[in-house]
Amino acid sequence: MAATASALSLPLSRREKGEEERQLVRRAQSGEEAAFEELIRRHQQRVFGLVSGILRRREDVEDVVQQVFLKVFVSLKRFDQRAAFSTWLYKISVNECWDYLRKKKVRPLVYEADLSEEQVSRLDGVVSADQPPTSSSDRAEARDLLERMMEKLPQQDRELLVLKEVEGFSVQELAEILDLNVNTVKVRLFRARARLMDVYRRRLHSKPEQPAEGKEG
Amino acid sequence: MSMNSGNRNAENNYVACPQYEAALEDQLQDTLRGPEAAMLAEHLVTCAGCRAALEDAAVSARLLAIAEPSPDPGAGFSRIVLARIRQELLTSESKSIWRPVVAVAWRFAASAAFALVLLASFDLGRHSQFVSDQSVIAENRLPEIGVERAPLPASRDEILLMMADTSHGKQ
Repeated sequence: MAATASALSLPLSRREKGEEERQLVRRAQSGEEAAFEELIRRHQQRVFGLVSGILRRREDVEDVVQQVFLKVFVSLKRFDQRAAFSTWLYKISVNECWDYLRKKKVRPLVYEADLSEEQVSRLDGVVSADQPPTSSSDRAEARDLLERMMEKLPQQDRELLVLKEVEGFSVQELAEILDLNVNTVKVRLFRARARLMDVYRRRLHSKPEQPAEGKEG
Repeated sequence: MSMNSGNRNAENNYVACPQYEAALEDQLQDTLRGPEAAMLAEHLVTCAGCRAALEDAAVSARLLAIAEPSPDPGAGFSRIVLARIRQELLTSESKSIWRPVVAVAWRFAASAAFALVLLASFDLGRHSQFVSDQSVIAENRLPEIGVERAPLPASRDEILLMMADTSHGKQ
């Protein structure tokens, strides 16, 4: 009985939450500034995550997020609420990011320097999960190494991996935001993981393997 | 039991069977249930490529767990956004005050330019017509023969002399 009640209460609370948001959107559409401010507060973190997942440049993210909410404010009256407000907002965010990248002709960050032996062994430890980084400096270094590897991936792979694994978007959400089939998102995600591992392996094993190949040849 | 060990890419790494990639992603997320889960489990027993790919995917998830999500922009962010919206609205309103005047000015300028073009083309037409008329007249004019006109008589005596010459000629 309790299980039935909890099973029923979860979708109901979601529905209530959805209805509350729809009312908030209606109030914002009628020009209530406080309602719009509440919508910003509710979604700013995820929009930040989405935009920084695509742009990867912290200095540009805040400006683009502001631009996103400005666009939302301007076109809010035309939003008919057939889709969820969040989906509509995230689509605007993605389009704004792509516009920004196109206009600025931003070139991807390229790290010329390769990883040192020490860095490679530390990263290997992180991945094998027996030496997780404990200090904040180690964690920062590991993040930097990961960032370098991510920059070697195609833009689409990087976006998917960051949005899914770092910013916490679900496969369903990604499918809606990117106008893709759910299965396509899953396949692309899986292939992006494989490509990340290819980059990782090349970085990790290129130095020890090269002399061995030379001897054989 | 046949072991599928042929799924390797150009770099000699194992790759997953394309028809199982979506299910493998579900398996990684621990969202695969029912007959699909059973089918994948059965496939994994025989497919070294899919097993290696799934292991790789799990490593990639551990690798990506190092990254941190972007921080919350903070409570003041919504106020910053609203301030920017107000600023943008003010700018667009001040633009909109002048917009009708600018529109009328542009229309006036366009009409004046059009009238000028019309006048110029009309004048050009008239000028070319005049030039062609002149040339037609010039072409149709008889060539002037060198006829020497008699000088006008200066006095009465000269008139009388002229009359006498004329009548003398007739006779």
